[in-house]
Amino acid sequence: MSIDWWTLGLQAVNLLVLVWILARFLFRPVARILAERREAAAAVLADAEAARAAAEAARQEAEAETAALKARREALLAEAREAAGREAEALRAEARAGIGRERAEAEAQIARLRESGQEEAAGAAAALAADIARRLMGRLPDSARAAGFAAGLAEALADLPEATRAGLGVAAPLRIRAARALSEEERRDLRDRLAAVLERPVTLDVAEDPSLLAGLELEAPGAVVRNHLKADLGRIASELARHG
Amino acid sequence: MDNPLVLEPLFRLGPVPVTAPVVATWAIMAGLALFSVLATRRLALRPGRVQTVLELFSATLDGQIRATMGRDPAPFRALIGTIFLFVLAANWSSLIPGVEPPTAALETDAAAAFVVFAATTGYGIRYRGLGGYLRTFAEPSWVMIPLNIIEQVTRTVALIVRLFGNVMSGVFVIGVVLSLAGLFVPIPLMALDLLTGGVQAYIFAILATVFIGAAVGESPSAAPRAKEEEQSP
Amino acid sequence: MTGSLVEIVSIIAAAVAVSFGALGPALAEGRAVAAAMDAIARQPEAAGTLSRTLFVGLAMIETTAIYALVIALLVLFANPFV
Repeated sequence: MSIDWWTLGLQAVNLLVLVWILARFLFRPVARILAERREAAAAVLADAEAARAAAEAARQEAEAETAALKARREALLAEAREAAGREAEALRAEARAGIGRERAEAEAQIARLRESGQEEAAGAAAALAADIARRLMGRLPDSARAAGFAAGLAEALADLPEATRAGLGVAAPLRIRAARALSEEERRDLRDRLAAVLERPVTLDVAEDPSLLAGLELEAPGAVVRNHLKADLGRIASELARHG
Repeated sequence: MDNPLVLEPLFRLGPVPVTAPVVATWAIMAGLALFSVLATRRLALRPGRVQTVLELFSATLDGQIRATMGRDPAPFRALIGTIFLFVLAANWSSLIPGVEPPTAALETDAAAAFVVFAATTGYGIRYRGLGGYLRTFAEPSWVMIPLNIIEQVTRTVALIVRLFGNVMSGVFVIGVVLSLAGLFVPIPLMALDLLTGGVQAYIFAILATVFIGAAVGESPSAAPRAKEEEQSP
Repeated sequence: MTGSLVEIVSIIAAAVAVSFGALGPALAEGRAVAAAMDAIARQPEAAGTLSRTLFVGLAMIETTAIYALVIALLVLFANPFV
């Protein structure tokens, strides 16, 4: 067993030199580059983190903006809805008012129509009554169409105010319209009666008017005294029209 | 057959006899240095193929040191990595025809083991102080002091003989087989030699790590493994 | 045979050292490999770690045989008594 101490020493020195060489040229640069890579990766990660945070912030901002837009849209919609509601309400009110007006008009029209209808009916009834009365009168003797009415006319004349009565038949003869031509006797009787009422003699100007049906009518400036069926029928017809 | 235990000097540098393992070691040193300089000349953040391999090696080394010692691997990386790379290169240099691996000579292994021993003592004193390091010999009690001292010697000798025996026996067996059989028969044995060389380099480096870790005071988690390794030889 | 008695005994001693030195590690390696196979069969996902540890362990066990081989070589080539 022989150990070569020179070789042992040389190998030990060689190994130490190799340690130095490799530490200097291999391990230190590799460790440095690994550390650099780690730092770079950390930087990249930090960058990515920052970018992610920025993206997150941007997203939140966009979300907020979206929310704001939504709110604004909601507000606009609500406003529009409200305006539309108001408009519709106004339109409805207007329409209601129009309808009311129309209805009132229609009602007025209806009323008018009804009124005119009544008037027509009343007119027709009056005509009918006049017709009936005429026919009835046709059956009666002629005397009945005038004779009975002289007293009535005198009474009606008596009911007139004094001032009116005083002016009658002064300037001109009293104009009498009769349903038929009066006979002489009848004319005299009528003159007497009127003179009795007026307390002075009068002259008569008798005219025939078959439309009176029966009776007499005294016409004077300022007064008309009707005492005949036409007037009665007309009063009845107007009464009917008022009530009907 | 040559005597594997005796070295004949190739030439002399003044009074110093230079033997074949020394020359082979110089060649290995030159090769490793050249490779290191070339490989690390332009390192980039975006690594090339060689740089990726280097970084993988460095990261694995760091991981092993951290797992074994439970410490930051930076102060030990150069020593452990150099020992591993040198032993590996020396073991595998037997592939080159005419070259006998330097680790097949007892002196080279002894030099490596003594470097490890010196590093163990040096790191222990640096991390614990001289008193603190000497006190570790009295653990767990003062009765253990002689045993601990003997252990320091025996484990260094075991380190030497393990590496020397494995590499030398490989060379020896290949020489015997070559002298007996012809051309292709030694190839499987050489492949086995490669495997043995790699495993022995790993074992040498990891045992160095364990010794240094035990000397500097490892974290509790690494302690059981360190004891286990120390008992095995 | 002109060798001295010491040389004859040295050669016999070397053979005995290697043969018996190889016995124990062979048995140990067999047990280790069997245990590793069993473990891999139980936990195929841990095959990588197991086989790596197995190789290191086998190298450690083999070292015992190597010690015997070194002693044999010492006896043969560096015998202090020759």
